[in-house]
Amino acid sequence: MVLAFMYLPMLSLIVQSFNESKYGGKWMGFSLKWYQALFHDKAVIDATLNTLWVAFMATIVSVILGTGAAWALNRFQSRMQQINYTLFSAPLMVPDLLMGISLLLLFVNLGVSLGLTTVILAHITFCVSFVTFTVLARLQDFDFTLIQAARDLGAGNWKIFRKIVLPLIAPGIVAGALMAFTLSMDDFVVTFFVGGPGSTTLPVKVYSMIKHGAPAIINALSVVFMAMTLTIALAGQFLMRKKY
Amino acid sequence: MLKKIIPALCALALTLLLSACGPSQKVLNVYTWSDYINPEVVAAFEKQYNCKVNFDYFDSNELMLAKLKSGSTGYDVIVPSSYIAQVMFEDKMIIPLDHAKLPNLSHIDKDYLSRLAIDKGTQYSVPYMLGIACLAYNKEQVPTIENSWAVFANPAYKGRITMLNDKREALGAALKFLGYSLNSANPAEIEKAKQQVQQWKQNIAKFDSEVYKNGINSGEFLVVHGYSGDLLQVMEENPKLAYLMPKEGMTVCCDDMVITSTSKNQDLAYAFINYMCDPENAAANMEITMYTAPVTGARELLPKELQNHPAMYPDPEAMKKSEMIKNLGDSDALYNKAWEEVLFSK
Repeated sequence: MVLAFMYLPMLSLIVQSFNESKYGGKWMGFSLKWYQALFHDKAVIDATLNTLWVAFMATIVSVILGTGAAWALNRFQSRMQQINYTLFSAPLMVPDLLMGISLLLLFVNLGVSLGLTTVILAHITFCVSFVTFTVLARLQDFDFTLIQAARDLGAGNWKIFRKIVLPLIAPGIVAGALMAFTLSMDDFVVTFFVGGPGSTTLPVKVYSMIKHGAPAIINALSVVFMAMTLTIALAGQFLMRKKY
Repeated sequence: MLKKIIPALCALALTLLLSACGPSQKVLNVYTWSDYINPEVVAAFEKQYNCKVNFDYFDSNELMLAKLKSGSTGYDVIVPSSYIAQVMFEDKMIIPLDHAKLPNLSHIDKDYLSRLAIDKGTQYSVPYMLGIACLAYNKEQVPTIENSWAVFANPAYKGRITMLNDKREALGAALKFLGYSLNSANPAEIEKAKQQVQQWKQNIAKFDSEVYKNGINSGEFLVVHGYSGDLLQVMEENPKLAYLMPKEGMTVCCDDMVITSTSKNQDLAYAFINYMCDPENAAANMEITMYTAPVTGARELLPKELQNHPAMYPDPEAMKKSEMIKNLGDSDALYNKAWEEVLFSK
């Protein structure tokens, strides 16, 4: 029942995207014309490239920062840690709107010109927390005697990290990366505020298309987007399975 | 596996980064609604002025204003609705226009400017596209219909008629129906309009501004309250639909082109606005948006079926009683309160 509620809307979206009719509701024949229109729309293509670029950069940087942060949070014990922990979890709870406006004010006050760079920076800020907590969860089950054993056998720090730590926490990192990627791809509010000229991403474009654009193109676009997300998720699973 | 992927990804990132910065060319940044301009017109403009036009999109006047008020810059030309342009000008976010740089202003419809426009002298804005909120019905299912806002109360359409989910549109229809101005600031008139909408609410299916297009197309709704351009797009596909322009008058809304005070490319911005006022380009844009550009001479250049279409060029009699939605300043609170009471009433 719950699954039906989750998947039926998606199914109807997929069906509608092949409908000849511009407004749906009525079946007017199978057609690929909305997909054709979609792939010829330069604005949509630009927005897609922007979205992927932002998601990609935000994922890479937040994975590096987030893994480091998780390691530090897990390894070092001091009174400051509790504060750090809270600081990292705060972005998970702050509403998007607040985050968007405050980041915009920060960028404006610093005199940074708005554009793709500010969007990427903003996305990194909220993605890092998600990565940190997924990696941290993995680290909590980590058996640290393995490191001592490796050191006994003469392995250097870098070798330990590469051969032992990284493979063991890799599933956590991949899960965090996937989460960061999808979060970044989906984000509308923060992107809307911190974006500048030339930084329109797909979510921003789609919201605006609802006003004057053809709903059928939006359906086709959503299906392509769903396919992309699915591919990434499956690729992630495949990579993880291969390791073990 | 991972070792191979990471360098490949980095290389990809680098090429993307490098390809992002092409040869230096003047860039004009336009902030507007999606699908609101003909790409061919833009391409011709880019060619003529050897520049690149960058489009970014917003989906709500209010969000766009909030963003700019927080200090967001970089845009040269913005296309807000008239009442927002007025606020932007009062806040000095946009510049007064130098008419010497806009020779095509002579094409702007004088009748529109003198009768409907908020910025009558094009002091800070140039009208781009004009739309009206009217009704559409299904001719097959509704053979005869009364030409009035009173259709909202007709029991024959009970549960199969929708009304725009917008305080100014819904209360505006009621104000017009009662014979008042839709920009009324008189609390007693707004109170009466509120009661009128509350009464209509008993009969209508719902307040809706998005999916009525699908609903009237599929036959789920018999009559809908919507925007002329959107309805025209549905009608192109579904010949069973017809317009209804209530005799009491309708609301008119216009999106205007303005130049930001932070623009670094003012000359190019002027050139862009001027280009859009050319009758030929205005006609090309109208074919995409299905809204009316108040540009004299553009009508003759449109395809035949659009030239005399009531949605593009409504009956002058009905238009005489129509009004532009204006920014009401403090009186806006009266509308907010009335609208809340409508939404929460049973």
